[in-house]
Amino acid sequence: MSRALRLEKNRWRDWVAALQRAATVIAPVHLHGADIAFDRIGSPAEATLDFENTQDSPKRFLFPQVEPLLRYQRNGGYQVQPLYDEEKRVIFGIRSCDVSAVRFFDLTLGVQDLPDTYYAVRRANTGFISLACHQPCGDAFCICANTGPFLSSGGGYDVQLTDLGGGHYLAEVDTPKGEELVGAAAELFSPAADENLSRRQALDAEAQKHFERDPRLYFAASSRKVSLDNVGEDLWRRMAQWCVSCGGCTNICPTCYCFNVTDAQLNGAGVRSRRWDSCQYPGLTREASGHNPRPEQLHRVKRRIFHKISYQYVARDGMQGCVGCGRCTRVCPGVRLGIPEIGEGIRRAEWK
Amino acid sequence: MEVMERKPNIYLPQIARITDVRDETPDTKTFVFRFRDQQAHDHFTWRPGQFVELSVFGLGEAPFGFASAPTRKENFEITIRAVGALTRALHALGPGDEVGIRGPLGNHFPFDEVQGRNILFIGGGIGLPPLRSLIQNMLDERDKFGEITILYGARTPTDLVYKSELKDWERRSDLKFMVTVDRSEPGWEGNVGMVPTLFPKAGVKPDGTVAYICGPPVMIRFVIQDLVSMGFADEDIISTLERHMKCGVGKCNHCCIGHKYVCRDGPVFSYQQMKGLLE
Repeated sequence: MSRALRLEKNRWRDWVAALQRAATVIAPVHLHGADIAFDRIGSPAEATLDFENTQDSPKRFLFPQVEPLLRYQRNGGYQVQPLYDEEKRVIFGIRSCDVSAVRFFDLTLGVQDLPDTYYAVRRANTGFISLACHQPCGDAFCICANTGPFLSSGGGYDVQLTDLGGGHYLAEVDTPKGEELVGAAAELFSPAADENLSRRQALDAEAQKHFERDPRLYFAASSRKVSLDNVGEDLWRRMAQWCVSCGGCTNICPTCYCFNVTDAQLNGAGVRSRRWDSCQYPGLTREASGHNPRPEQLHRVKRRIFHKISYQYVARDGMQGCVGCGRCTRVCPGVRLGIPEIGEGIRRAEWK
Repeated sequence: MEVMERKPNIYLPQIARITDVRDETPDTKTFVFRFRDQQAHDHFTWRPGQFVELSVFGLGEAPFGFASAPTRKENFEITIRAVGALTRALHALGPGDEVGIRGPLGNHFPFDEVQGRNILFIGGGIGLPPLRSLIQNMLDERDKFGEITILYGARTPTDLVYKSELKDWERRSDLKFMVTVDRSEPGWEGNVGMVPTLFPKAGVKPDGTVAYICGPPVMIRFVIQDLVSMGFADEDIISTLERHMKCGVGKCNHCCIGHKYVCRDGPVFSYQQMKGLLE
């Protein structure tokens, strides 16, 4: 389904205020300095839609860095009680790449035949109002991942906003939840005209011309080599030399969801929690005996790339695990060991 | 907003009580469990090869394969060697103590597909318990299978698990059982040598035989090589893969080998499937 509406540009905060009556709104806010990141907002005035992309994706609102799963208590026998976070949320102003990452979570964590219980609860209670990108951000290559700069129907958003210029947003409503979201302030919306829709198409086409990076990332070539294990250990080793195993790339990645589970106990009562883990840490695969099937950093860099771009995973999950946001490149303290750099290194079979 | 139909929580353990503990070796014990809740107990069943995530509350969870057969399901057994913090804590527990159980998890050994064929079990050390689940199951439906051969090896005679059950297997006329140890001890009159040294003595032949192998990774590797060179087909060599697991349900990404999850796609794989894994 898809329905196109129009919203006056200077009224979007009124819509946010209306949404806040039924849900917590998570929106881009200014942090210290120039950084912009997602956070819960109090007043709609805290939110901004004037940004390229947020520092991190809103991943932590669906899959928190530390998440309690259950409480256990010994009272005679053990009592175990699951802990659910059922807060209603709207994520406002999420970019196309990060919406696509949620779609990836739906296919993996939330996969139909065995959904992750805690993810499913949060997901069902979260609405997504996205903001299409007129100007792709510097490190982005969403165009290669088919995850931006604009999304089309079925792309994962409930409502997609496009700044049409001339004082209006186009609001494409794509789901029943999207109808609920615009219904919260129906008076702010009017039907879109044909010229609004053609303007949207023109902006999409124009945005595709403005990638700073060569948008021809040749995922196909690197992906073929990775899928066939044709990269060569020496190249992996040379790339991994620059990796300090910090886990920054996987923490910032909107599609990474490795986690560890731990119990913390006090006076016979305890909480079992999960927290983000990383394939870049040696401990992820280390066994009780001390044996580690991925003993060197090169095996761990290889692992990350295999999970992100191999055909095997695309076939398994129905979607590539990299959405092209470019954050891994930006966050890497080594030599920008991001997916585009590694992808190109693999394609050319060389590394600086 | 629509009322969501919530599926059962895949991370929520059921409470089970230890009903019995048997010493197998100085560092290995067999635990017998029964769910505290009668309904949970009545509904619980599994297939040999599957495993559970066992919680020792306060220390977390670890995966363990079933050591007993679903055909003997009044209780279920798990044989555990004390190697880490959780297993050592478990070894300190006794009858009446409670643990958490999630499962059954993972796939299982081929069973229906191999009816009528000859069956060869090759177990090494603590690798015998998951095979015992299948052995008991097949012996309880003995007429469905051809010849059954069980070959078992351990480091020393002291390290052999299920010592009294091994004697029963030795006495049975409807199966061939042979055991060997790497290093002898006073009083041991049996075979000495690695498990493959039993192959000629047991007359191991590929004809229509399916081989199930469990043991330390290095043993599995050598046994598979030997079986392949004897002419066993890759798909008739069945083993289990082991990786550090956490969630047991294919979410946390600890146990991946290539794009497969040992916990969800395995732990049972044929040699043919193993060869296709990229890591």
